[in-house]
Amino acid sequence: MFLHDLRFRLRSLMRRPAAESELDDELRFHLERQTEKYVTSGMSEAEALRRARLEFGGFDKVKDDCREARGVSLVESLMQDLHYTARTLLRSPGFTTCAVLTLALGIGANTAIFSVVNTVLLNPLPYPHPQELLAARHNDSLPNLKDLQRQTTSFASSGGINIEPVDFTGNGEPVRVHAANVDAGLLATLGVQPMLGHWISAVEDVKGGPLNVVLSYAFWREFLGADPHVLGRAIRLRDKSYIVIGVMPRDFTLPRELADVFVSFAAGYPEAATERDVHFMHTYWRLKPGVRLAQAQAEIAQVDRRLAEEFPDSERERGTLLMPLHESLVGDVRPALLVLFGAVGLVLLIACANFALLLMARGVARQRELMIRASLGARNGRLIRQRLTESTLLALVGGAAGLIAAKAGTMLLLALKPAELRHLDTIPMDARVFLFVCAISLLTGLLFGLLPAWSAARGDIAEALRENERTAAPGVSRSPFGSLLVTAELALALILLAGAGLLIKGFLRLRSVDPGFNPANVMTMYLQLPGTRYPQISMQTNFRGELLTRMNALPGVQAAMITDLPLAGNFVGHRVVIDGQQAPAVGAEPLVQTLSVMGDYFGVMQIPIRDGRDFAAMDREGQPRVAIVNETFVRQLLPGLDPIGTRIDWARSNEPHEWMTIIGVAGEVKHSGLNQPVDPAVYSPFSQNDEAWRKWMTLVIRTRVPVAGLVENVKKQVWSLDSQIPVSSIQSMDDLLAVSVAEERFNMLLLGSFAALAVTLAAVGIYGMVAYRVNQRTHEIGVYMALGAQHLDVLRLVMKDGVKLALLGIVFGLAGALALTRMMVSLLFEVKPTDPATLIFVALLLAAVAVLACYIPARRALRIHPVTALRRE
Amino acid sequence: MSSRSIDLPQGTLDLLILRTLSLEPLHGWAVSERIQQISSDVLRVQQGSLYPALHRLERRGWIKARWGTSENNRKAKFYELTKAGRRALEIEQDAWQKLTAAVSQILETA
Repeated sequence: MFLHDLRFRLRSLMRRPAAESELDDELRFHLERQTEKYVTSGMSEAEALRRARLEFGGFDKVKDDCREARGVSLVESLMQDLHYTARTLLRSPGFTTCAVLTLALGIGANTAIFSVVNTVLLNPLPYPHPQELLAARHNDSLPNLKDLQRQTTSFASSGGINIEPVDFTGNGEPVRVHAANVDAGLLATLGVQPMLGHWISAVEDVKGGPLNVVLSYAFWREFLGADPHVLGRAIRLRDKSYIVIGVMPRDFTLPRELADVFVSFAAGYPEAATERDVHFMHTYWRLKPGVRLAQAQAEIAQVDRRLAEEFPDSERERGTLLMPLHESLVGDVRPALLVLFGAVGLVLLIACANFALLLMARGVARQRELMIRASLGARNGRLIRQRLTESTLLALVGGAAGLIAAKAGTMLLLALKPAELRHLDTIPMDARVFLFVCAISLLTGLLFGLLPAWSAARGDIAEALRENERTAAPGVSRSPFGSLLVTAELALALILLAGAGLLIKGFLRLRSVDPGFNPANVMTMYLQLPGTRYPQISMQTNFRGELLTRMNALPGVQAAMITDLPLAGNFVGHRVVIDGQQAPAVGAEPLVQTLSVMGDYFGVMQIPIRDGRDFAAMDREGQPRVAIVNETFVRQLLPGLDPIGTRIDWARSNEPHEWMTIIGVAGEVKHSGLNQPVDPAVYSPFSQNDEAWRKWMTLVIRTRVPVAGLVENVKKQVWSLDSQIPVSSIQSMDDLLAVSVAEERFNMLLLGSFAALAVTLAAVGIYGMVAYRVNQRTHEIGVYMALGAQHLDVLRLVMKDGVKLALLGIVFGLAGALALTRMMVSLLFEVKPTDPATLIFVALLLAAVAVLACYIPARRALRIHPVTALRRE
Repeated sequence: MSSRSIDLPQGTLDLLILRTLSLEPLHGWAVSERIQQISSDVLRVQQGSLYPALHRLERRGWIKARWGTSENNRKAKFYELTKAGRRALEIEQDAWQKLTAAVSQILETA
């Protein structure tokens, strides 16, 4: 039965032209036969034909019903509708362009953001069985990691990684590359294999093990010419010879690090690898199948407790907090992405509302055509379906155009991406994105086409035919549905505007935060001394001193150096003890940022010395140790005391203490970020440090005028001292400042452009509605003016509706904004999500835009000449 | 139009078509003529519903169509009952008789 039905339908469809002519023949035969019958009964030929036709009813309608009965009509009439729709749309290019463009903007923006959400939040990690992968929230040391690995059973494997900038030499200009200090377990944990050769084995991954290196695909391509026989070749890293044992696959990426080469931490850097209290490895863990996170966490907590008892001075406050790797990677960007996704969804709604308004206006313009078709026998359902076909076709074309817009949008996003998304090299448009576009396009077409279609189809045929064009269907043109759409558009636009306003205000606040130094005209660059050739402080001091002398000899240049720049994201923390104060329990001493400087650092950065004195030439190796602390240090650790002359030292350094005397107090510097609190900090001279491992330094150079070729000059000076030292991370302090707020800037720019788009669309919507109504009421306005109405009266007449709707929308929007901006709390800096000034400002702004959007078309009403208007009768 | 003619109740047209075709294959016009004749002009079939009904029955597989020559020597589409159609007719006829019997019983007694 069902099969027969299907076969029948298919056959009917296949031989459609034949079936169509057969149907025609069959019905024609009936008509002829009936006419014949009447002729036989004595009627005239013409009379008989007329009678037969009359009895038969609408020939086309019967055919239509027959087609439907045969079951082909669905597909067939869809084809007809499509054909008809395409023709009518091409005949009104203005309307079509407007509709497609509106939707392309809405759908395009949504697709672009969805692509990012898809890539960042929805796509699984590029490792097998990613659900088993965990990351520890805090960094750890290699000895701790090894103990945890040995004493737990929940994990199939685990590994650690620390990125260290190292010098790659012996290949032309020295280059600084990123070396990953890893342990053997890392790759097994991620579940990846090298493309060539093998990974560092557990046997090799020990103190005194061979100096082997695994290359990243990019490094292999760029520096070794993708040599297929690279295994066994020696390359120079850190001034030592490493043997290449493997090359990673092209598509391999680390969870959050960027690395050019992989080396065994234990074999390559035994001094640091054995330090239990130097916690700087990211650790990754793979659960055994079937083990739950809570179980693993409980087991690891036990080992943590044992470690804390065994090594109280360093491990007391340590703990391993495991979380799913995916969560640890995207947790920070999720709130921003979701807010942006929500915002762009509102933009789409506004675009859809405009689309529906356009369809309604078009529906009214075509009212008569539709009514005539209805009176010729087209059924209501068919008419609705036809209009739905139109809106869906438009939405699909809009979606396709949106896809192109989205492609451009994602490229823009990549160009703007903040550091949190730095792993995002491409934003692929995969099947899920296409599905998303299809779904929202179809939904838009059907949903926002249905309402106008339905409201138009309700009209009474006879009434429409009786009325003339001028007054056609006032019920539709002023339908509550259109007003609702305009109100909703403005409400949504206001919500977006409020969100954007808050972010902009937060961003301005953030930018106006005083970083504590003057970033203008400061160039910075990073160098690192190779430990093999500069093992001692005195050697390092010689190099640094000579470099500074040469730099300062360049005209217009004032140079100094520091270990870690403010806002660059690094610092070394030390625990500190204060002479004369009861030392806190071991492991509980206060933690401070420690920075080594040389030259007139505070002068170059223009950091004020609030108390005491700056470092001077006499504060060098062999002289009494000195330090400068920041104001937070004084406030938190020396409250009510005179800091100058107080002596401090690192906790647990060799007894007896070699005390550092505080000689000055420096102003606060926002070291960790403009939106972060200032931590206590201690500055000390490079030369007085017994920490030869602080081989790195950042040159800071203040120039009175931008010096062309400065960077090249600096490099030349460095290389004239030592040709094997790479100079990298060359950037101005202004850029560094900009980078430090890149995430906030990204959010602000994106939400700001969505808001701008929303306001534009809403303005177009309200403009369109007022323009349309002015057009509809030309005659009425003409009469009004003929009766002596003044310009102001006419303006009031035509603007009244639009302004009323706009104000209503703004009020609703304010309520919506109050409810929704709470979700942005984590993105705002020192601005409440209900900041009244912002809300009032955006409400006034939107009101002004709305009034303007009403006024422009309303002015047209003033140009109406009463006589012309009346003649239009 | 005759004042005695009445419109067909919903669903009965299919039954009448099947019944009419159970005697011999006919074309559409003849089916409508036959129904009108047999019912002594009481039942009039609207062409607007006759042809869709024929096509619907054909789709269901109860009747099948073939082109033949009509009584006035013209090409016409003839419909005939299939086996499935014959079975369906029996079932429908049976149901109809039960229904009318029940309805008239109620009308007479109530």
